[in-house]
Amino acid sequence: MKRMNQTTMRRLISIGMLLILILLFTILAGAGKGKFLNFDNLIEVVRDASIPTIIGVGVTYIIITAGIDLSTGSMMALVGMTMANIYAYTLLPFSVMIIAGLIVGLLCGLFNGIIVAKFNVPEFIATLATMSIFRALTYIIAIKDQNGVIKSQPMNHSQYAWLGGGIGKFYFVIMAMIVVVIIGQIVLKHTRYGTNLYAVGASKKAATLSGINVAKTRMIAYVITGLMVAIGAVFTTARLQSATTAIGMDFEFNPIAAAVVGGVALSGGSGDVIGTLIGALFMATLENGVRKLSINTAFQYVIKGAIIIGVVIFDATYKARMDRKAKEQGAKEGLE
Amino acid sequence: MMKNINWSKYSKPIILAVFIIVLSILRPKAFLSLDNFSNVLWSVAVIGIMVSGSIFVYLVGGIDLSIATLCAFSAVVVVSITHLLGDTTAGVIVGVIAALIVGMIAGAVHGVVITTFKIPAFLVTFATQSIFLGLAMIFTNNKIISCTVPAFTAIGAFKILGFPLPVYFMAIIAVISWYVLSKTVYGRYVYAVGGNPEASEISGINVKLVTIVCYMISGLTTAIGGIVLASMTQQASSSTGAGYTNDVITAAVIGGVSLLGGEGTVSGAIFGAVLMGLLNNGLNLMSVPSTHAGLVKGLVIVVAVAFDALQHADQSRKKVKKVKKAAA
Repeated sequence: MKRMNQTTMRRLISIGMLLILILLFTILAGAGKGKFLNFDNLIEVVRDASIPTIIGVGVTYIIITAGIDLSTGSMMALVGMTMANIYAYTLLPFSVMIIAGLIVGLLCGLFNGIIVAKFNVPEFIATLATMSIFRALTYIIAIKDQNGVIKSQPMNHSQYAWLGGGIGKFYFVIMAMIVVVIIGQIVLKHTRYGTNLYAVGASKKAATLSGINVAKTRMIAYVITGLMVAIGAVFTTARLQSATTAIGMDFEFNPIAAAVVGGVALSGGSGDVIGTLIGALFMATLENGVRKLSINTAFQYVIKGAIIIGVVIFDATYKARMDRKAKEQGAKEGLE
Repeated sequence: MMKNINWSKYSKPIILAVFIIVLSILRPKAFLSLDNFSNVLWSVAVIGIMVSGSIFVYLVGGIDLSIATLCAFSAVVVVSITHLLGDTTAGVIVGVIAALIVGMIAGAVHGVVITTFKIPAFLVTFATQSIFLGLAMIFTNNKIISCTVPAFTAIGAFKILGFPLPVYFMAIIAVISWYVLSKTVYGRYVYAVGGNPEASEISGINVKLVTIVCYMISGLTTAIGGIVLASMTQQASSSTGAGYTNDVITAAVIGGVSLLGGEGTVSGAIFGAVLMGLLNNGLNLMSVPSTHAGLVKGLVIVVAVAFDALQHADQSRKKVKKVKKAAA
């Protein structure tokens, strides 16, 4: 019962943060002709939040197991560049190209998973290393002109452009996000695998003793993230109608920030996909508002960093307090 | 067992020699020139300065992912203060001092947040990395600011006995950190905290203070690295020092510093810096673009850390066996 309260409380806080941010920007932008609070702009915010949320579903699984993935941005670039190569050098249909992209994503995730789960390399070091590996591979397979200079590969095709857009304002990427969030939440809350994720995050030792294959559980989380990153890469290249080596630069920050703001504790064992969605909406609102109010984008980096530290400090102190309370309660009950 | 120890003792010079021989054979003219020699030294110096300080963080089991952007921010601080004070020598001195203070404060903030709230180091430094980047961009208005004040450029370019000043900085900082780590009580505390924080706490070590000081040292050497780098390139921008986070971590890992804490020496880290300098230079001479070098560096980190982790697992298994034998 206590735990339940704690997670509901945390959910309310993240929703509150989102609402306060929206209110703040509405007031600030109101002075400048109401640029922020209108339907078109809000849809734009949701669209911007879609890819961090889709990838965030995988990252949420990883963080629930007390892991981290710093390589998602580079992985996205590698998937995009693979598809660009297929587009540029073969006559294969789009469906094959997309499937190839998804497979590359899966393999990248598997690579992370093997290093982390089989070789026990600390997650942040392993994925920091694969971050530069994937980015370097992207440069290596990048398409070059006659002089050997890397160029951005256009992927102009009506079908692909259609995928990057939507039916009116109902962008396909938003629909994909909704589907991924629903499936992600169901898997997390109502399947054996979801329960295993929480168990591994709470205590690897206890999970092993209760017969959970910890290495496999962690590896699958990385593979799922790889797949989600590939989906993100498909929509990104479809929207941009091109693939560049710069795709996903500094992107790895976003899904992690979304999860953290949404209440997925980095110590593992708590949080869910809906929280990450709220967190992603928060970060997208922040970016949009800063842009719409023409604030120097440099401030964005400072604000993002400060928010993450603030939220994490809050979580840490909150958890410490709750633990202490629970202990005191336990001691009292013990005395009685 | 005996054989193992001998090998690990000589493995570093052997690797270094093999590396130099291979490069000399592949690119004899380019590699064995005096110009190239000083190129390697410069590259080694910056990594060496930074790794001599950040080794403290690794030894207490932490990590610093903000090296690259803190480096940029301190470079920006020294250059913009020099400009503010009219491009004078006094301005350079004030700027350098300010940048060093900024580095120390940044480190102190890392240490305090990490120890007070018990938040993983990678997350805190991951977040502050973004903050430092933003600050560097705000200070420079997102432009490259150049600085050609003689007193400032001398930091990177002045030569004594044929060696550029940064090499002496590296030597001095490495010796100081070697001395602190192996000859002082504080150094022993650092190893103790990294080896087993709980046991250290119980045995009366102020774990919190020891850790905070480690991050301050790392911040300080990162700032020195930033100043040297800005002086060498005669400019500062938000991308000064980009890529150095990985280079410094890789240098430490190659040099046998365990990122799990409690293990590693300054001489090892400096060896790692030399190898990284040679690697960067070698890849450059073989005309491998710097963008591709990430592949090699990334693989080096993965293999080295995986090896380290496997060895740790092996050791603890052996210990368990020993205990079981003793019990039987």
